[in-house]
Amino acid sequence: MTHHALGVAGSYPLLYAIWLLPLAGAVACWAFGPQLRVFAGALGSATIGASFVATILSWGHAVQRTGGLQGAHQHLGAWLRGFDFGLLLDPLSLIWALIITGVGFLIHLYSIGYMSGDRAFARFFAYMNFFVFAMLTLVLSDNFVGLLVGWGLVGLASYFLIGFWFERPTAVAAARKAFVINVVGDVAMLFAIFIIFAAVGSVSYGDVFANPGALGSSLLLACICLFIGAAAKSAQLPLHTWLPDAMEGPTPVSALIHAATMVTAGVYLVARCWPLWNASPDAQTIAGTVGGLTALVGALLGSAQWDIKRILAYSTMSQIGYMIMGVGVGAYEGGVAHFFTHAFFKAQLFLAAGLVIHALANEQDVRLMGGLRRRMPLAFWAMTVGVLAICGIPGLSGFFSKDAVIFGALEHGHPWLYAIGIGTAGITAYYMFRMLFITFFGDYRGAMNATDLGIPATEAQALSSAANEPPHGTQHHAPAWLMNAPVALLIVPSIFAGWLLVGGDGSPWHRFFSGEFRTVTVSAPLNELMTSVMVLAVVAIGVAIAYWRYASAPALANAPARLQRESARMPVALRELLYFDTAIDLLFVQPAIGLGVIFGRALDPHVIDGAVREAVLSARWLGHLFRSFQTGLVRAYAVIMIFGVACFVAYYAFMGRLVTH
Amino acid sequence: MNEAALPVAILNYVALSAVVLFIGAAGVMLRRNPLIMLMSIELMWNAANLLFLAFARAWLNNAGHIFAFIVITVAAAEAAIGLAIVVVVFRASHTVDVDEVASLRG
Repeated sequence: MTHHALGVAGSYPLLYAIWLLPLAGAVACWAFGPQLRVFAGALGSATIGASFVATILSWGHAVQRTGGLQGAHQHLGAWLRGFDFGLLLDPLSLIWALIITGVGFLIHLYSIGYMSGDRAFARFFAYMNFFVFAMLTLVLSDNFVGLLVGWGLVGLASYFLIGFWFERPTAVAAARKAFVINVVGDVAMLFAIFIIFAAVGSVSYGDVFANPGALGSSLLLACICLFIGAAAKSAQLPLHTWLPDAMEGPTPVSALIHAATMVTAGVYLVARCWPLWNASPDAQTIAGTVGGLTALVGALLGSAQWDIKRILAYSTMSQIGYMIMGVGVGAYEGGVAHFFTHAFFKAQLFLAAGLVIHALANEQDVRLMGGLRRRMPLAFWAMTVGVLAICGIPGLSGFFSKDAVIFGALEHGHPWLYAIGIGTAGITAYYMFRMLFITFFGDYRGAMNATDLGIPATEAQALSSAANEPPHGTQHHAPAWLMNAPVALLIVPSIFAGWLLVGGDGSPWHRFFSGEFRTVTVSAPLNELMTSVMVLAVVAIGVAIAYWRYASAPALANAPARLQRESARMPVALRELLYFDTAIDLLFVQPAIGLGVIFGRALDPHVIDGAVREAVLSARWLGHLFRSFQTGLVRAYAVIMIFGVACFVAYYAFMGRLVTH
Repeated sequence: MNEAALPVAILNYVALSAVVLFIGAAGVMLRRNPLIMLMSIELMWNAANLLFLAFARAWLNNAGHIFAFIVITVAAAEAAIGLAIVVVVFRASHTVDVDEVASLRG
């Protein structure tokens, strides 16, 4: 049995419970959906809840450190000699497992209310449970192959859930897009595993991380391949285009994808493979730069959206960019901390948005909202806390983790990324408050004519038809507390989760990881306090601009006209989403279509079909030849036969003469 | 080799057999009446039999006699089947011209 540097090679069967309970729930909901009916929601939530409890119970084992080995380990079996599969729960995977099952449980509870009356209620919970199971496979695996299996299952689960309302062509297209882009990442991961196995001869984390130097010159290539996988899953440039489209799924799905599962897998991957990144400064620069640029681009695009879920989607992209930047440059604890806090406030933002969307019969365009502060106080306050947290207002969770990431960039010698991080914080404040102000302040605009608000006529048509035909029935509703309680509960960690980071090296967060991550820092020209001050200044500017444009008295007075003007004057580059979709279309989709056309018009009919046709023709020609012998004249047959016999006789007579001579 | 067992030289038998075989073959190839063709086939059988018996006598080897009996048996069977076919074909096509019974032409 291999000895794992990460995790004690041993037996801790409770890990089976954490891992397999969601799968059991998924199978049960899948197989017995018609029998379970509304109880499918309760069953699905209960299995996730039980998994969460099992995770909590494993806490002590996960953080214990015996003789340099850390965490709880459960051996699963060997595929081939040298391919030992197992489950590993160490501090890093514990953080993820807690979020996946904990926040996942709240989202499941919320879904019971949100999805009540949907005709595929049980199927929804089967998929959700399967998603949680896939994500747990990803984070609990103790080797790269298991990681890749989880990686692929997560992509499959996202395909199921994004395309959950498969009657909508847009949802099907979005699901397909997400799956295809994810597969790009999967393939890159596969190549990374090939490279690692070729160099190290093992795929277990322990063996690979024990000596990253064994990878030699292929280290950077392995890191890049791993990072392509991370970028596809975590919506980093330029593979982010599936994320906003994924908003076609039901809102709880968005919350699950964005907060608890899926998009943070890339952050996990980089944090998990920290010894590789530490050993390769080039890989650190690549990951950090891509993360920083993603944060910036996501924030820019978020400022130009009108769909409440798309605004949140781009904010996720931007925040994941922060996380990747953090773990990329080497600020592992900061990056993971930002994942931890982001999971709470992003789940809360999505679930609050879901309350709004649910109440407005699937209306998602913020221009048709407004003034909801008085009508939906819980959604308003939840959204406000989420917005304050994501902007990094002091005291709320985002403040601590985001500053840790931004300062980490400087601390690890990347001043440009530091600058990008600070600037992006301002844009983040602008677009989040923009969303808050447009949605909840002023007067309700839902009854207004959509075109008066600057919504293009075609889009307005689509919106109204979507609103008129809610995909899930509204005839019977689950109790409101099922949706309200998770939102209210999430307010607590959204505010307080960041306090775990207070205290520098003595903070609970640092002690939790107990020196698992080792990094080299350079002496920073600015200290952490000054960083916070600068971030706050930029955030204040962003909030002020948002207030001036959307919430000040003159702005509120003629809000419809201003919104219409802003819609009309939106820069083309932003409206076209900075041309990422266009570029991917030109670079990959069109060539693929062109290749298809070549095959369809030239290769297939003329080469493949041609060969088949030639074979048929030659068979027919041979048939003609042999058919002509069949004259049907008995006497002709007799002549041929006698001639043949004569030939034989002549031959043997001749040969006989040869032999006797 | 003991040729004294034969009063006539062996070459005469061979020549006669060849002539009979040729007549039979010509009959099969040239005549269109199936009955005549069957009779021609019998001629060819008998040419073979003549050779078997002549050589058996010449070399004092009884194997030739045995083969002659086998040939007679097979010829009888062949004649029976052949005549049956001729009858069936005649019933079906009302003709005794083999050239007109050519429905199996490819």
